[in-house]
Amino acid sequence: MHDTIWFESNRRPAVFIASSEFEQAATAQAEALGLPEVRRIIVPHPIQDATDDEMRAKADAIVDAVVAALAR
Amino acid sequence: MPNLPAFTLTDTAGHRRRFPSGRLTLLAFMKADCPTCVTSLPLVDALAAAVPAPADVWIIAQDADGGRALAAHGGGNRAALDDSALAVSYAFGVEIVPTVMLIDGDGTVRRSFEGFDKSDWQALTADLAALAHGPLPSIDWTTYPDRRPGCGSRTLDPALADRLAAEAEGSPLRARRIEIAAHDDPFEFLFDQGLTDGLPVVPPTPERVLRMLAATRRDAQDVVAIVPPNLAPATVEKVAINAVMAGCKPEYLPVVLAAVEAVCTDEFNIHGVLATTYFPTPVLIVNGPIRDRIGMNYRGNVLGQGNRANATIGRAVQLVIRNVGGGRPGEVDRATIGHPGKFTCCFAEWEERSPWDPLHVERGFARDDSVVTVYAGGAPTGFIDQLSRDGRSLATSYGRTLAAVTHPNLCFHGEIVVVVPPEHVDTFARDGWTKRRIRERILEVTTRPAAAWRGDAECAEGIPAAFADNLPPDMPLAKFMSAEAITIVVAGGEAGKFGAFLQPWLSGPMGSVMVSRKIDTTGR
Repeated sequence: MHDTIWFESNRRPAVFIASSEFEQAATAQAEALGLPEVRRIIVPHPIQDATDDEMRAKADAIVDAVVAALAR
Repeated sequence: MPNLPAFTLTDTAGHRRRFPSGRLTLLAFMKADCPTCVTSLPLVDALAAAVPAPADVWIIAQDADGGRALAAHGGGNRAALDDSALAVSYAFGVEIVPTVMLIDGDGTVRRSFEGFDKSDWQALTADLAALAHGPLPSIDWTTYPDRRPGCGSRTLDPALADRLAAEAEGSPLRARRIEIAAHDDPFEFLFDQGLTDGLPVVPPTPERVLRMLAATRRDAQDVVAIVPPNLAPATVEKVAINAVMAGCKPEYLPVVLAAVEAVCTDEFNIHGVLATTYFPTPVLIVNGPIRDRIGMNYRGNVLGQGNRANATIGRAVQLVIRNVGGGRPGEVDRATIGHPGKFTCCFAEWEERSPWDPLHVERGFARDDSVVTVYAGGAPTGFIDQLSRDGRSLATSYGRTLAAVTHPNLCFHGEIVVVVPPEHVDTFARDGWTKRRIRERILEVTTRPAAAWRGDAECAEGIPAAFADNLPPDMPLAKFMSAEAITIVVAGGEAGKFGAFLQPWLSGPMGSVMVSRKIDTTGR
């Protein structure tokens, strides 16, 4: 989140990607750092035991949303 | 106005009086229960009548009731001002009442004296007559004693001194003051504000924070560290506030300051320690002379409850991370299970009970240095070896126990802290076993061929298959990256052949690295 906000504050669009279990942490941190509206994409949890194919599927599912968020 | 503090006080008639006024001013600091003040009052009245206008003659009354009592005497162009809050008496540095000051309109102190000495009053009377270009006021000096000692100013009352220092102009405190209603319970208020770890905290009143700050020479506004995750600056004052809340004695503050500094380094990586779903939290290990000076425990129940220094120093660091850095469970603290050491985990090494160099000496400090070392540790796990009679057998026990750390099929661990109790120390020492030899034996015992670390159909967990596939199946892999990664600390009670290790986390740039900081014990 620090990195995402650093990019944004340097006028470079950035999007933060996290699994659903970390949405609350992202919200708290974004608010604490003064950019609550930071662009974010939330993917279904879990990640830890996902196979490579499952990870690719998660990525494929959000790629359009990532582009749309960055183009906002 | 050189050197004299400005003030506004209310007189007994409810009028606000401001100093400096640019006029000649006679100030008499008094309290009603001081016999010497009462003796002096008629002289104040007599002089008030003789002072050339425009001028102010003010009794600065240190007690509200007394102010009324003092005001009841005489009248004319003098007033009794309510300084029952004592801020003005404190600002003027009054130590004895009465203290009498004649101050010119430009702020020059023309005359000042304490207690009662007839010659002082006669000289003051002559000053006023000269200023008025008139005759001396008619005073029957024979009715006055030559000398009378004054009384102690109320500002010196030990029960009030800390509060006055905290509230005074020039107080080192800059933190936002929170006034709570008289009917509010401060303990409940602090819970409601989200400032606790779930246990009650000591309300950080200005007096308590000032007493805490007295334990360090550092300026209250010095920044000790930038505290993740919010990257908020923690000043000495902010650390002191949290130390008060944790229940620390002031003499613990230097340890807390050094620990906060250590925890907030990139190497320790408190942001990662908080954000991981695994178990770690700052574990504080204290070495050097300060251990005994502040009464830390390194003997029985060393990782348990019951010792104020151990309990509150660790807790203060946790409260700084929470209240300054914003590292709270459910927010950036993502621990799945956590452990009770997240309230506090701080202990000292029993250096004198060990034949080996203590931790801080191993880490490059002098034996006489006081040092705090922070380790990102999980909960302690105990193990039993009550039968080994020699060093090799006992070190083998340590190795076999540590083989299961985090999971029997996981290796390449970095740092781990192992607590060796006195009875085990004796077994090792009898055989001349050094720390190095113990560490190497642990590595030897926990080394297995690459194939043995892999998950299988029975249990999937293990080293990653992609990694294992590139290794010869019989290649030896050790549980730990190196012998140096195994930190041995001597602590615990004299009875009990039980060791413990504190669960490790990731080490190195992806995780946390132990950090030691020398504790500034020079005090004030």
